[in-house]
Amino acid sequence: MSIGSPSNVTQAATREIAGPLLELTDVKTHFRTPRGLVRAVDGVSFTLERGKALGIVGESGSGKTILSRSIMGLLPTKGTERHGSIKFAGAEIGNKTRKQMRGIWGKEMAMIFQDPMTSLNPLMKIGDQIAEPLKIHLGMSKDDAMATARRLLQDVRIPEPDRRLQQYPHEMSGGMRQRVMIAIAMACGPTALFADEPTTALDVTVQAQILDVIAEQRRDRNMSLVLVTHDLGVVAGHTDEIAVMYGGKLVEKAPTRRLFAAMKMPYTEGLLASIPKLEEASHTRLNVIPGRPPDLVNPPKGCRFAPRCPYVSHKCLEEEPPLTVTPDDPAHSYACWYPVGSPEYHEAKARIASSVEAN
Amino acid sequence: MTDVMTPDPTTTIDEQIDARFKKVRRRRIPKFGVMFGMTFLTVLIFLTVFADYLPFIRSPEAGVYVNGRLQSNYKLGPGYVAWWGTDGNGKDVFAKCIYFARYTLLIGISSTVIGLVVGGALGMLAGYFRGKTDRVISILVDCLLAIPALVLAIMLVSRLDDIKAEIPFLGWMSRLWQIILTLSILAVAPLARIVRAQTMALREREFVLASRSMGAGNARIVFREILPNLVPTMVTVAATGLGILIAAEGALAFIGVGIDTSWGFMINANRARLEKAWWATVFPCMMLFLTVLSFNLIGDNLSRRFDVREASV
Repeated sequence: MSIGSPSNVTQAATREIAGPLLELTDVKTHFRTPRGLVRAVDGVSFTLERGKALGIVGESGSGKTILSRSIMGLLPTKGTERHGSIKFAGAEIGNKTRKQMRGIWGKEMAMIFQDPMTSLNPLMKIGDQIAEPLKIHLGMSKDDAMATARRLLQDVRIPEPDRRLQQYPHEMSGGMRQRVMIAIAMACGPTALFADEPTTALDVTVQAQILDVIAEQRRDRNMSLVLVTHDLGVVAGHTDEIAVMYGGKLVEKAPTRRLFAAMKMPYTEGLLASIPKLEEASHTRLNVIPGRPPDLVNPPKGCRFAPRCPYVSHKCLEEEPPLTVTPDDPAHSYACWYPVGSPEYHEAKARIASSVEAN
Repeated sequence: MTDVMTPDPTTTIDEQIDARFKKVRRRRIPKFGVMFGMTFLTVLIFLTVFADYLPFIRSPEAGVYVNGRLQSNYKLGPGYVAWWGTDGNGKDVFAKCIYFARYTLLIGISSTVIGLVVGGALGMLAGYFRGKTDRVISILVDCLLAIPALVLAIMLVSRLDDIKAEIPFLGWMSRLWQIILTLSILAVAPLARIVRAQTMALREREFVLASRSMGAGNARIVFREILPNLVPTMVTVAATGLGILIAAEGALAFIGVGIDTSWGFMINANRARLEKAWWATVFPCMMLFLTVLSFNLIGDNLSRRFDVREASV
């Protein structure tokens, strides 16, 4: 594996700086509210290589959207505290102002939002919306920008691009609009794409198509992808690595295959168990993780997942587990005292099984 | 009657489709109120603009003569010679009503446009940048709204008289301009307020964030993303506001601080003779009433329509 040496010739030579594309060290994003400090993201570190895809998974309120917006620098400045370091292509961007970020947005980093129904300007033609970033960043003429916009629509597999360029968002379906959003994000050839639950608002059949389009664009452009979602099924086929977030912290991170085969965190296990299985009879009760995500103003003392963890023990409630690397795979790390597979885990599991039988 | 569910078997498919489309199309005809408003304003504007060339409209300065004698002192009632009768000076009331619409519409439209530009700009600044900018503008707007509009207008018009006398290069400012300026100031506050609220709602919308994430600057976001989305609101408020401003202009003329070539002035000049010569008062009143009503009907319809649009977008 060649680390940090993109082979894509279409990207500018200036972008070929050695090292990971994105490097986060102890990133914290806190919001000041009347209730107290909300620790939406609380000490997240990871690196993302060029051309790789990272899935950030977690339930609502785990801080995954805030994390992706923190990296992009898109959060409101008022009432927000940002700590830690975010390095993009070797340069620190964590402390940049909006004005300084403007040169990076669109050109280096782009974002796709959750709801394609609201993320397009209802009063502007599709063509103009795609052409706009081309005109701003690349200084293209109107005709060039339109020709590029047409090609971009073809890239995201929209039929009849010429007609679509002249249409308004309300004339398109949700899937089409999300394709347009992807085309806009792709316009200036960013090196990193952030997709914030890109398929949540769409039909299941359209979801797969949209994910395929994103994957295809990533391959063609040798782009890094951060895919934020609450759906493990979405990240399974489309990412190289998965980071599981809970309560503003990273609780497990592993290459995709490894995560599904040998997860360590009971939370990951719970998430996976909650996916309905095809072979089960219809109307089988879905497995759920009981309880609710922690209050981020007063997070629990020990492990943040402890109050909801079926295998909880005293130590979990008292001490916070650090993010540790598994001995057999350096790419796999987790934050749990008694991970899945440990003797204590089996013991607790047997205890639960016997108590269920006793009832 | 052909029922939609069980079509008449004697008609062809094409005819049935046509019939359905006709049904849909019929529903699209605007309501009576808007139709009335549009028709009235169109006719009024046509008559006003081409008054000089239309044979049935006299000059408002020329008296009405019958057998060589001036029909002064309200001599002629509504009839064939002078449609809406004559007034104390023997002038044609109909001609006056039509010609004076020029000034009324000019004042209404100019002050609305000025109000839209200034109020819209203030509202967008306040709503988009928030913070201190918002506070300063909001206080100014609240102050303007706190003073009763008519009192403020009377004060402003008379102050402008003094200012004009003191500052020589303001000599160009006729009474007409004073009224326009005053009414513009009255129009700024409510417009700024509504635009501010709308801008605040729009700036949080996802497409604005999406555009920012593509590297758009403040100016681009305001003019390309927010302003076009404000247009429906602005047009709606402007249409209703136009009616109010025209009524205000009439009121100013009525109490004697406005211009003399106004419906309001006519009403005031002739009201003493209301019992004997009702036509000289009632017809200008009617014109004022119908004009304001037309603008309000159109404004109401626009607001209803754009609300639906906003919700479906």
